[in-house]
Amino acid sequence: MKKKAYLGIDIGSISTKGVIINDDNEFLAECYLWTEGNPTRATKNVLHVLQEQFDQERYRIVSSGTTGSARKLVGSMIGAQVVKNEITAHAVGTTTLHPDVRTILEIGGQDSKIICVENGVAVDYAMNTLCAAGTGAFLSSQAHRLGVAVEEFGEIALKAEKAAPIAARCTVFAESDLVHKLQVGCPKEEIIAGLCKAVAGNYLNNVAKGKKITAPVVFQGGVSKNAGVVRMFEEELGMPVMVDEKGHLMGAFGIAVLAKESQEESVFSFDVADMEFKTREVTCGKCANHCEIICVYRDGSLIDSWGNRCDNGAVKIR
Amino acid sequence: MEIRIDDRKKIAFPRINHYDYAIRYIVEQGLEAKFVLLPPATKETTELGTKYSPDYACAPFKHSLGSLIEALEAGAEVLVETGGLCRLDYYGELQKEIIRELGYRCEFINLAEYMGGKKKEWLKLARQLNPKLNPARLAAGVYEGVKMAECMDEIEESYFKHAGFEAEGGSFKKVYRQFLLEMQIAENKNEIKAGYQKAKQAFAELPLKIPENPVRIGVVGEYFTIMDEHSNQYLQEKLVRLGASVYRFMNVTNCHLRAKASAFLPKIKEYAQYSMGPTTTWTIHAALDYAKRGFDGIIHVKSFGCTPEMDAIPVLQNISRDYHIPVLYLTYDMQDSDTGLDTRLEAFYDMLERKKKVLR
Repeated sequence: MKKKAYLGIDIGSISTKGVIINDDNEFLAECYLWTEGNPTRATKNVLHVLQEQFDQERYRIVSSGTTGSARKLVGSMIGAQVVKNEITAHAVGTTTLHPDVRTILEIGGQDSKIICVENGVAVDYAMNTLCAAGTGAFLSSQAHRLGVAVEEFGEIALKAEKAAPIAARCTVFAESDLVHKLQVGCPKEEIIAGLCKAVAGNYLNNVAKGKKITAPVVFQGGVSKNAGVVRMFEEELGMPVMVDEKGHLMGAFGIAVLAKESQEESVFSFDVADMEFKTREVTCGKCANHCEIICVYRDGSLIDSWGNRCDNGAVKIR
Repeated sequence: MEIRIDDRKKIAFPRINHYDYAIRYIVEQGLEAKFVLLPPATKETTELGTKYSPDYACAPFKHSLGSLIEALEAGAEVLVETGGLCRLDYYGELQKEIIRELGYRCEFINLAEYMGGKKKEWLKLARQLNPKLNPARLAAGVYEGVKMAECMDEIEESYFKHAGFEAEGGSFKKVYRQFLLEMQIAENKNEIKAGYQKAKQAFAELPLKIPENPVRIGVVGEYFTIMDEHSNQYLQEKLVRLGASVYRFMNVTNCHLRAKASAFLPKIKEYAQYSMGPTTTWTIHAALDYAKRGFDGIIHVKSFGCTPEMDAIPVLQNISRDYHIPVLYLTYDMQDSDTGLDTRLEAFYDMLERKKKVLR
């Protein structure tokens, strides 16, 4: 009898993550790659990578889950049992790996959030509203401007003696500050350190405003790979900030744990990675609201649809 | 053959949730004029409103302007805009100008000018709308219309309280829809009463399946956005679909027919010494009340740039800290996509449910 395994996929705006775990929450396979604006293709690539690492002789996938901004699309694509938001997934993932954690800081490609944990369960959270200031997208666009790879940001920032002051509140202001600092000949590493400080400052002033940050703190999401931001957080908070080696996979891990907890089982096959998926947006004409209905097709036949506000726009699945 | 022309004036109000029905009743039964009842707001309403509004006006301004323009297109001759305690008091004036500049010809009545005025002035206004006015009938119509608003508030409250726990999917919605339909066409007080009693009875008979960890959420915040479903992207309905029991203090009955806001000030004096403007006293009082009654979470709703409600946020943070109750802050502008809201609400609900499961 093959042992049970659970698949979790986290499809974010910037990167797509996939993990397979067993009953003891051990990683059997993992994968991290760029979404590049095409969640369907990214998921297929992730599945191919996972399939190679995965020992199909000993394990079989009995349940799967999706999270992240394209969770719905990919969920219907792979026939996931659990489709959940990334906040829940991150909270569950982190508290499973670090049962003693009290605060989870997370900065991703386009969003940032804080989750407060008590007794191993999330009790409060906040997420950035309206604007994506101080997230990964901001850092990578500024890296591009400075001609530095965003992956090297952390190391360069650590070399700086001091951080150049850069307005933290708004990305637009931060950008004009940055251009100004460049034009007056400020050293690059100080500017990069300043940017890291701005990201940490923005986060603490906006997302974490009014929330009590208690140790132990875990920092995750793509930006947590930036050692400069980690140090700025430690300086601002005056407490150690832990970065998990698997921090970037936490959402995928969390949703895999949720899939396991759901106890719903069905057969999963890696064949979906080779099927053709198409989405089509249809404008419903049944009332003046003109809802945009998303229809997902697998090999030409409709498998799912959503986006209608009322029952008139419901698309029947044959 | 005698040709009869309907010479009643066609009057329109900006939409605000289902209160349209009560206003229709007052206009048609009391004032004996014609009311332009608009179909539910759509994306088009939003687009119209946004297009002709100053960018920095708040979302309620844009929604109501969209409604007014649609009403004109539907044949309205008299537009009525209300006044209020914040920028709203100036909105009628501004909307009148915008509509005039768009080239529409209509009468525009700004109730802000009548607020706090004498009864005589109001009667004069009513006579202006219908020269053949019967004052006794007007009084009865207003009374019954207000009664209808009260009935709708009570049924709505019951709906959002229980629908999340319904045993059979959609059973509450069916009753609620039927009730609203009856209010929409009611022509006398007996019909209002019958519809109300029927819905109340039907709700009481519907089977409930209360989950192991029922989640109770209180919704507080800015007057228009919190009450108008289209403006808040069906917030309460979404919560009900997730399986929560939803409470909202803010409605016409509680705000205008029962105790005055100032009566709540002593009850919240630990958190606020004086009134911070329009609806903040209600917001803070309701939030504190929910916290004390052991609710699982609070959702604070406001339109972007609503200063009074922004001032209430630090107070809510204090309540959240003291009573260990999470508060989700939502800000609405004219966004179109539901995805961001869905993610936040689902996460909020999941968190409350898991918390209950583990901590109790």
